[in-house]
Amino acid sequence: MSVLELLRLAFSRLRTHRLRAALTMLGVIIGVASVVALVGVGQGSTTNITARLNGLGTNLLTISATGGLGGNATSTLDLEDAAAIGELTSVAGVAPEVSTSATVTAGGESTDTTILGTTEAYPAVRAYEIWQGSFLTDITVDRELRVAVLGSTTASDLGLGAEDLGTEIEIGGLPFTLIGILQPKGGTGGADPDDQVLVPISVVQKYFVGGDSVRSIGVSVADAAQMDAANAEISSLLRERHELGATEDDDFSVFDQAQLLEAAESISGTLTLLLGGIASISLIVGGIGIMNIMLVSVRERTREIGIRKAVGARGRDILAQFLVEALTLSLLGGLIGIVTGLAASAAIGQLAGWDFAFNPMTLVVAVLFSLAVGVLFGVWPARQAARLDPISALRYE
Amino acid sequence: MSAPVLRLRDVQRHYQMGGTPVPALDGVSLDVGPGEFIAILGPSGSGKSTMMNILGCLDRPTAGSYELAGTPVAALDDDGLAQLRSRTIGFIFQSYNLLPRTTALENVATPLLYQGVGRRERMARARAALERLGLGDRIDHEPTELSGGQQQRVAVARAIVAEPALILADEPTGNLDSHAGAEVMALLRELHAAGRTIVLITHDADVAATATRQVHLLDGRIASIDGVGLAS
Repeated sequence: MSVLELLRLAFSRLRTHRLRAALTMLGVIIGVASVVALVGVGQGSTTNITARLNGLGTNLLTISATGGLGGNATSTLDLEDAAAIGELTSVAGVAPEVSTSATVTAGGESTDTTILGTTEAYPAVRAYEIWQGSFLTDITVDRELRVAVLGSTTASDLGLGAEDLGTEIEIGGLPFTLIGILQPKGGTGGADPDDQVLVPISVVQKYFVGGDSVRSIGVSVADAAQMDAANAEISSLLRERHELGATEDDDFSVFDQAQLLEAAESISGTLTLLLGGIASISLIVGGIGIMNIMLVSVRERTREIGIRKAVGARGRDILAQFLVEALTLSLLGGLIGIVTGLAASAAIGQLAGWDFAFNPMTLVVAVLFSLAVGVLFGVWPARQAARLDPISALRYE
Repeated sequence: MSAPVLRLRDVQRHYQMGGTPVPALDGVSLDVGPGEFIAILGPSGSGKSTMMNILGCLDRPTAGSYELAGTPVAALDDDGLAQLRSRTIGFIFQSYNLLPRTTALENVATPLLYQGVGRRERMARARAALERLGLGDRIDHEPTELSGGQQQRVAVARAIVAEPALILADEPTGNLDSHAGAEVMALLRELHAAGRTIVLITHDADVAATATRQVHLLDGRIASIDGVGLAS
């Protein structure tokens, strides 16, 4: 019998038992939909996390002072350390950072935010872009000019836009000139990377924190493949500059963005697998539903099988008929499940604020999986049907 | 003398009942020639049903030989039997045995489906068979929408659609009132007149009288044969 004939038989059977077919398919629909939706959510969140971490700066090493000496809050890093690191050939850019918090006031609006002192290299190292105006330059740092660049959130909090460039704002009671506004980076949850005011590092050191130490140094490494080498180079340079003996611990720590990225990707990859795994359990339950209904169906249709055999059906014709019926159920359920699952993951992505990640592999896997469910759970009932003895099947009431 | 359609030689069929073999057929030899209309008669327990299963290739003899249209049945496996059935036998059952929730047309076309006949030709031949039996206006009806007599006529159409060498009718009037029963017997007579080979299995002597030969079974053996055979 041709596949077409078998499909015709299967569909006419499913048409005459619509409710039963729908309920049986529901198990597979739920199974496939949850696999597709949860894997989609997992991949969406992975993509989102990766994008956000990349947004923090590519090839980024962050050097932070640890502990200080004997609990002294004084940082062990200073501008000269930053300058020395900048001399290394493996380093593309260095942005020392000092931060404090203060109230910023402009035209009657005011907000409390982070005041970050840094240098010209900051946008390149931390992956920011200028939206309006210009960024800090070496001149503004050297001359301790009181100029400020606003993060986009801070700017909108204060009601400032392009037309306000060059006007005066107050930071911690001191007047500053607004010279630029950054592009928003976006991202949800955690600290808002767009809520900060950037000023020359020398100004923060002079007016707000005192001393010439820095809180951290952002380093952009020239070659992503050389992260570990650069990391080692910077560590030994700083140990030398800080005159640490061979047995002494580092008084700084180097934090590798790539490691965080890897860790995050591996965590969310595991999470995706876990979600997919849990969802496939429901697919298996759906498959058992198919097997159950097919077994019932073989029982109910014993007489039909007998008649078909009497008029010339071979065992394999009956096997094929029942198998195709199970496959039709599982595949149809699988397709509906894919559509439902994609819709669900798109909706969840919308709510969570990330892009809808459409992975064709998921679809291929889902289709194959539902086919496998159909074969796995359809073969046994179909074999039972095929093996029925025509004489007793004909007498079966 | 033309070659017999059915050729049974010392056919035995034993069933195992609690370890001891019980003979249901105990040495039956019979030839049925082409175009013959024979009735196999006997009370219940005489081996009629076993005879029907063996003749219909639904079962194999325990011993002895059976040739259907020249093919020795003993050598065939289950699939081979199924194919032989689909090509050479048309069944008519007491309880019609139509496929439920399936139109008369699809029911009649089913034997052709298992012969691998294409759908268009299947439907055309099924329609022609139904029209021949006066059911041209019932082709889209399902069994539950037909009377017993109509259902049995659909079954007759199914039995003849593949032009089989043998029509095997098992108590075809058993579930019908006398009027519908007479109609079905008239149909069988017509088919016989058209040259078909028919084996009718029944317990009813009046029904059996329609046939040209009556084979009486008793305790698994042929007790007597009335009427004239074509060949022996």
